[in-house]
Amino acid sequence: MATEILSAPTKTEEAPTQGQARQKLEFRIGNEAAALAACDVGYHVMGYFPITPSTEVAENLSKMQAEGKHDIVLVAGDGEHGAAGICYGAALGGGRVLNATSSQGVLYALEQLPVQAGTRVPMVLNIAARAVSGPLDIRGDHSDIYYTLNTGWIILCARDPQAVYDMNFAAVKIGEHADVCLPVIVVYDGFFTSHQKRRIQVFDDPEALRGFLGTRPDLPTPLDTEHPATFGAYMNDPDLINNKVQLSQAMQAARRVIPEVFAELEALTGRSYPVMDAYRMEDAEEAVVLLNSAAETAKEAADELRAKGRKVGVLSPNVLRPFPAEEFREQLRGVKAVTIGDRADSYGAGGGNLSLEVRAAIQEDPANDTRVISRIYGLGGKDFYAADALAFFDLAGQVAASGKVAEPFAYHGATPGKPGRGARPGLPPIRAEEVSQPMAHVKRNVSTGRLDVELEPLWKMTAVPKRVSPGHGACPGCGAFPTLHQVYNALQGDVVVLFQTGCAMVVTTGYPNTAHRINYIHNLFQNGAATLSGLVEMYHERMRRGEVPESKDITFVMISGDGGMDIGMGPAIGAAIRNHRMMILEYDNQGYMNTGAQLSYSTPLGHRTATSEVGKKLPGKRYHHKDTAQIFAACHLPYVFTASEGYPEDLMRKVAKAQFYAKNEGLVYGKILSYCPLNWKVADDAGQPVLQAAIDSCFFPLYEIEHGHTTLTYDPDASDRRHPVSDWLGLMGKTKHLLKPDNAEIVAGIQAETDRRWARIKALHEHPLL
Amino acid sequence: MNRAVRLPHTDRFFEARFESIGGLGAHAAGQVLATAAVLNLGLNGAHFSSYGSEKKGSLVRSFVRLGPGEQPIRTSTPVEAPDAVIVFHAVLLGNPGTFAGMRKDGVFIYNAQAGTIPAELAALPKTVRVVRVDALGIAVEENSRPNAVLLGTLCSQFPFLDAEVILAALCAEFAGKHPEAVAHNERAFRRGATEFEAIENVGRAEGDLPIAKPEPEWGYETQPAGGLLPAPGNMAWNDLSASRTGWLPVLHGDKCIHCGVCDLVCPDMCLVWGDGKEGGKFERELMGVDYRYCKGCLRCIESCPTGALTKDAETPGLADRLRVRLFPELIS
Ligand SMILES: Cc1ncc(C[n+]2csc(CCOP(=O)(O)OP(=O)(O)O)c2C)c(N)n1
Ligand code: SF4
Ligand code: SF4
Ligand code: SF4
Ligand SMILES: [Mg+2]
Repeated sequence: MATEILSAPTKTEEAPTQGQARQKLEFRIGNEAAALAACDVGYHVMGYFPITPSTEVAENLSKMQAEGKHDIVLVAGDGEHGAAGICYGAALGGGRVLNATSSQGVLYALEQLPVQAGTRVPMVLNIAARAVSGPLDIRGDHSDIYYTLNTGWIILCARDPQAVYDMNFAAVKIGEHADVCLPVIVVYDGFFTSHQKRRIQVFDDPEALRGFLGTRPDLPTPLDTEHPATFGAYMNDPDLINNKVQLSQAMQAARRVIPEVFAELEALTGRSYPVMDAYRMEDAEEAVVLLNSAAETAKEAADELRAKGRKVGVLSPNVLRPFPAEEFREQLRGVKAVTIGDRADSYGAGGGNLSLEVRAAIQEDPANDTRVISRIYGLGGKDFYAADALAFFDLAGQVAASGKVAEPFAYHGATPGKPGRGARPGLPPIRAEEVSQPMAHVKRNVSTGRLDVELEPLWKMTAVPKRVSPGHGACPGCGAFPTLHQVYNALQGDVVVLFQTGCAMVVTTGYPNTAHRINYIHNLFQNGAATLSGLVEMYHERMRRGEVPESKDITFVMISGDGGMDIGMGPAIGAAIRNHRMMILEYDNQGYMNTGAQLSYSTPLGHRTATSEVGKKLPGKRYHHKDTAQIFAACHLPYVFTASEGYPEDLMRKVAKAQFYAKNEGLVYGKILSYCPLNWKVADDAGQPVLQAAIDSCFFPLYEIEHGHTTLTYDPDASDRRHPVSDWLGLMGKTKHLLKPDNAEIVAGIQAETDRRWARIKALHEHPLL
Repeated sequence: MNRAVRLPHTDRFFEARFESIGGLGAHAAGQVLATAAVLNLGLNGAHFSSYGSEKKGSLVRSFVRLGPGEQPIRTSTPVEAPDAVIVFHAVLLGNPGTFAGMRKDGVFIYNAQAGTIPAELAALPKTVRVVRVDALGIAVEENSRPNAVLLGTLCSQFPFLDAEVILAALCAEFAGKHPEAVAHNERAFRRGATEFEAIENVGRAEGDLPIAKPEPEWGYETQPAGGLLPAPGNMAWNDLSASRTGWLPVLHGDKCIHCGVCDLVCPDMCLVWGDGKEGGKFERELMGVDYRYCKGCLRCIESCPTGALTKDAETPGLADRLRVRLFPELIS
């Protein structure tokens, strides 16, 4: 090994602080930095909805809350639109408010963002930037953040975890400044920053921090009943334009306020954030412009080129709104050529938003003669290496030398592909006759008008070709797949499925591979039911017009997780009310498992999830599980059922009925309890006993509602198998804390709610009309 | 803590790459290492992992980058040319990416039982130090996890990674939530630091290995527009054997009544059925398991009413011997 050197030791206690505030060293990822800052700010309320890669902000706050480190009220929205609404309402209430989201979450919240800016209600939104769908991509780029450029929010860019921490304080103060009074976004790169541990300095000085933050200034609030006011009056021309002048003036004021606040913060921390981060730009003739983490990589490349004598530098704005146009003009005046990289395209515009705005800024400067090269890079999380930055400098170098821009706009780092290569071939399609043998025989019972089902023996079902191939990436023991397998066994003929976002979707399709052997659609889990209902209507209309042969006989099935029935509840209810001929099957694993097990509304009381942590101050989830089956029952559907993969025959009988109703009468909804060994924290092979215990405790009653008539299909009372819920709760890691004496009240609460709901279902079962 | 730390190189970062499978604890190992290096050894550092989906059993890479305390770390890109590669599961040796960019003066540590030396190791540079440790075996004996063992081995190979400091960080990681695990992990770590085997003369390559530039199968000139994927069920090409953690189900045909119960609980659709023998008792028969897809969850065993499926320890070659293919004409 080469020469060894001595590294200067840094003592934890003596962190290199040049600021006035006491600080300490931590090693944190960007999301933790945001959560620590939130804890230090001591927000009143956080409204959020989980989405990768920003979820950990709420998760960390839940953990810290369980340990008693703060008392921010964490409210899980029904989706990001709901979360944004929660935040808006809370912010109107006069306290400090926080949110964190990414990607589709930003887009789903987007509708609320201009509302909040236009009505001038400050709060802070952290965005861990990620590619927007479709196709769905969970990794980092800037396509989400670019959608927020026109919302009237201030946008601060945090290039590393330290900046995430620092800017979260600046954001509070900038937004609340009397001359600004706007909500503020802090954006950092998904994964590159959100998930990378770095050394950071954090405040160890509550006093200094309080001095900096002060209290939220008094703004008009509907909680002030002595001064009645109308918040959000409807406003047309000629008034609206004047409201926007004010908003634009607030942005102008922010140009002054932001550097002031940054300077104040610097006095405390010793860390400075100029509006424009200009690296080695003093005499630069060639430059690259990049946002956030990629700019840091480019600095390494700049050092390398500087060492070789090239006059290069890197520009990277710390503030995106208001746009630092003047700073760009200043910095680029002496630059011959600049490559501007955008981590998202403005399709058809000849450049991403950053590049277009820099071009617009410098054309106002008569002294500017900089040539501009626009490049789209790093989409969907594609890494940006120093070699990529060198390529950007080379482009600028060539243009500086020739004075000509050969290719003003292009994508950098895409792959053309080679002929003859591609996805691995699929399995042979399943022929119609292979799935035409019924495994369940459905007959209408003339006396009751309801359906009777007779199942073929289980061994016979092994001949049904599997509509999902093996090779998918679910965890060992995952219950979503036995559920799917049992559902498919009972379905006869052609099936078209739509999966909403969730574990079953993610693990069955990873481009260029799919486990689906039949036609499959994914749409995001807030809108699958609407999408499938559109397809169903097109199918029937095209059949009516003779464009689809009458001999076709497709069954339409939507597969959703329980989370999809939170965020997607509105469209699902809409489809139910419209009574389309389709079915919605929900595999209920009691949480948002795909994103790492956050609470869903179907998570039972007291259960531990990543956003309902357990500690001395928090005993798991605070409210009871959602009774989704009864919500759909209230839509008066032809058929609603509950089932579990732990009771395959019961499940398959119900699915056979569901197919009959979905083809002949209208919408069917089924809620299917499915095992999740990873997040229930149980052994992979314990699905059966755990599901059995949930059902025997009457926590999850198995029943069906046919044309409004409720029938229990399994009655633990009658078979003398009924157990207290504690017998079930004791089986799972996620609930074992509940059996401690301290939590007896919670278990009693679960038992009481279980008994109450069970008694109701039983009464419905017994009543001839219900 | 005041100590002077000797990094192996003056002109670049020390970079380590953990090659693993979700659930084996590579992310936690990288985190413990980097946290201790930054908070207790006075180094600057970064740690992160590559994520696809975060399911148990999927491929995970974890990266650690360390430098002198006063040197900023700017880049956030994955480690391309590692000084140390730590392989958590021997099946990963079959993946060329595992070796990519290996530095010629680096250390390559892999988890495997003693025995034949995997042929794949020939891809390594001649001058690399190759170290084998039975991390799984030690972990099972000590009621710990392979990551504790492998961290111990890693520290034993790089003197600047002060074993006591790293061990303290490992203990601290568990002290809160699982205080009972601390002693187990400590024993596993210490055994990892001593019970390894240095394997001589395996690498054949000259110099540093080239860094990997993985290319997608399809590009913009070849990929169907709109992300359409006209290849039904082509996930069947995936091999999931690596998801198993030491156990697999074995079918005993004599006890099987071919009832079909197990088929309904297998999440991986890897039980192979065929038509029963002519004139035989059964119309359909369970023929065996396609272990290419079996993740070893053992749910089938739990469901079987006759004990025809048993939980067996997976010895090398067992799955290959017993495997019955689901798609014999297509997928070997
Ligand atoms: C608008 C939007 N918000 C959030 C997400 C992130 N997200 C993807 S799947 C998922 C959870 C799904 O939970 P569930 O429907 O219960 O399915 P499971 O993963 O548990 O199988 C979340 C929160 C998203 N993709 N889009
Ligand atoms: S997290 Fe749970 S639901 Fe998701 S794949 Fe794993 S076991 Fe299945
Ligand atoms: S459950 Fe047991 S007896 Fe029944 S088919 Fe499976 S292995 Fe054979
Ligand atoms: S252990 Fe059994 S149930 Fe689990 S994947 Fe393997 S064959 Fe299927
Ligand atoms: Mg779920």
